Amino acid sequence: MKDFLSNTWKHRAHIVLALPVFLVLFFIMYVPMAGLVLAFKNYDFTLGIFKSPWAGNHGFANFQFLMASKDLFVRMTRNTVLYYIMFTAVGTFLNVTLAIAIDQFVFKKMAKTMQTLMIIPVFISYAAVTFIVFAFISSDTGIINHTLGTNIKFYSKAAYWPWILLVTKIWKDTGYGSVLYMSVLAGIDSELYEAAEIDGASKWKRIWHITLPSLIPMITVMLLLSVGNVMRSDTGLFYQVTRNNGTLYNTTQVIDSYILNSIMKSSNFGFTGAASLFQSVIGLLLMLFANWLVKKIEPENALF
Amino acid sequence: MAKKNKNLDIAPSRRERGGLGQAILGFFLLLYTLFCALPVILVFVAACTDEKTINKNGFSLFPEKWSLNGFNAVLKYGKQLVYSYGITIFVAVAGTFLGLLIMSMFAYAISRKDFRLSKFLSIYLLIPMLFNGGALSGYIIFTSYYGLKDNILILILPLCVSTMNVIILRTYIANSIPNELMEAAMIDGAGEYRTFFQITLPLLKPSLAAVGFMMATAYWNDWQNALMYITTDKKKPLQLLLVNIQKSIEFLLNNNNVPSAARAAMGGTIPQYSATMATVIIVIGPIMVVYPLLQKYYIKRLTVGSVKG
Repeated sequence: MKDFLSNTWKHRAHIVLALPVFLVLFFIMYVPMAGLVLAFKNYDFTLGIFKSPWAGNHGFANFQFLMASKDLFVRMTRNTVLYYIMFTAVGTFLNVTLAIAIDQFVFKKMAKTMQTLMIIPVFISYAAVTFIVFAFISSDTGIINHTLGTNIKFYSKAAYWPWILLVTKIWKDTGYGSVLYMSVLAGIDSELYEAAEIDGASKWKRIWHITLPSLIPMITVMLLLSVGNVMRSDTGLFYQVTRNNGTLYNTTQVIDSYILNSIMKSSNFGFTGAASLFQSVIGLLLMLFANWLVKKIEPENALF
Repeated sequence: MAKKNKNLDIAPSRRERGGLGQAILGFFLLLYTLFCALPVILVFVAACTDEKTINKNGFSLFPEKWSLNGFNAVLKYGKQLVYSYGITIFVAVAGTFLGLLIMSMFAYAISRKDFRLSKFLSIYLLIPMLFNGGALSGYIIFTSYYGLKDNILILILPLCVSTMNVIILRTYIANSIPNELMEAAMIDGAGEYRTFFQITLPLLKPSLAAVGFMMATAYWNDWQNALMYITTDKKKPLQLLLVNIQKSIEFLLNNNNVPSAARAAMGGTIPQYSATMATVIIVIGPIMVVYPLLQKYYIKRLTVGSVKG
């Protein structure tokens, strides 16, 4: 103990250096964690989170409402999880494919320019993407309707939206997502390829037996680390791009956009708090599980 | 990560150059590049298209009639545009510098080897990545307990520290800055603070550039905090202008309670298609200009960040 204290005193300068981030994290991240107790409260605006009375049923009333509101709760959880699966599966496949394609292309300068253009969308905010999507699918002025000579009302048909959101997501993130895999490909020893070529392996065989296996550790790690975010979504994609349109909620409402809506309308905080806690706890469990798995497979890449 | 041997890299490709396979591959890559770039180009074209042409023919990459009226309409925002630009730039610059400074201080502190508290601090840093209070709880805490509603600080603080960025900086300090340098400075009589500010911080530059660019983009593109917290016009950042344009279009188009006469009277204020696209350009333009210049830095950052040392 004395040892520890003298070590701490010796490093007082380091404590001072660490202090600002410590405080920011405390007030911005840690205090809101405590605020999640809201889920068990009968929230009263005038009393605040901590002084509000406990909710009925030993504090679990909000969760009972959540479970009872079957349609809403099931719908937003289902959408959140399904979009996560769709985006992750398609996204990973395309990221890897694009990385290999660029790596195989021998005109490096041209590849570099193309890559620069492919990455641009990731820097455009969803508030702006909304207008770009609109230019394509608007019913009177949209490019799609004008080209096809149709009059499809995309903004009032929920069935179209999983595809619209998927294409938007691919457009925005694939170029950027492939950069990571390209850095792995750049690290493959080219003697491996040479040896395979001398042994008579065709181009496809080389990709299949050398390129893909060398990407698998990175793919595994990225997938596992993303598992912790199953319950979180790109709020901008679901809130902005869909223009927060109620008629589309069946296929577009996710937990994050529901929470943002309830904040904007200042409504139903206890209920939303329960949804929020549910989201955070599932996220925590999945994250711990994923990290445990990564530790088993690729200990170097575990988060902790 | 080992670099490819240049000679080995070029040798096989020379032979393959001009092959049919490469042509097909190039074609598909070009196709995908167009898929990424055309929507962005469309924004530019639409902003320079005559409003009547859009109404008649819809959005198009090859409009019948060009016009710069969209940009004139944007200038009608006048002062608001100046305020919004000011706020966005201030928040991005102040937030990025503040974040970089305090995060590198923290990263330096926890990378000291015989500092016993550093383990605790690392865990303290990691927990927010695993468990999160979420938007609602944050909203109530920030507004009713800290009184930060409509305060510019709320645009800066939530984005200024991120666990991943601190890890990147710490990894860089641990792997790329020799400890002997710091020790030598101490032996020469520099205190801890001086060692950090005069030795470590300057050596961190490449890593700071990469993290800084990503932070600045995140600040520039943040619409959600602005939407939730900012109410005064003078404090609205650019992204919130875009969100508001969206809202006013919807209100006017979808609200049947607004009589047509009133709508006609408001005609001047209904944001038009070309004007909206011109606003989009004004909002995304600066990033489009800066990004290619900094491309090499953030690619490095991405690589360091994912393959934690």
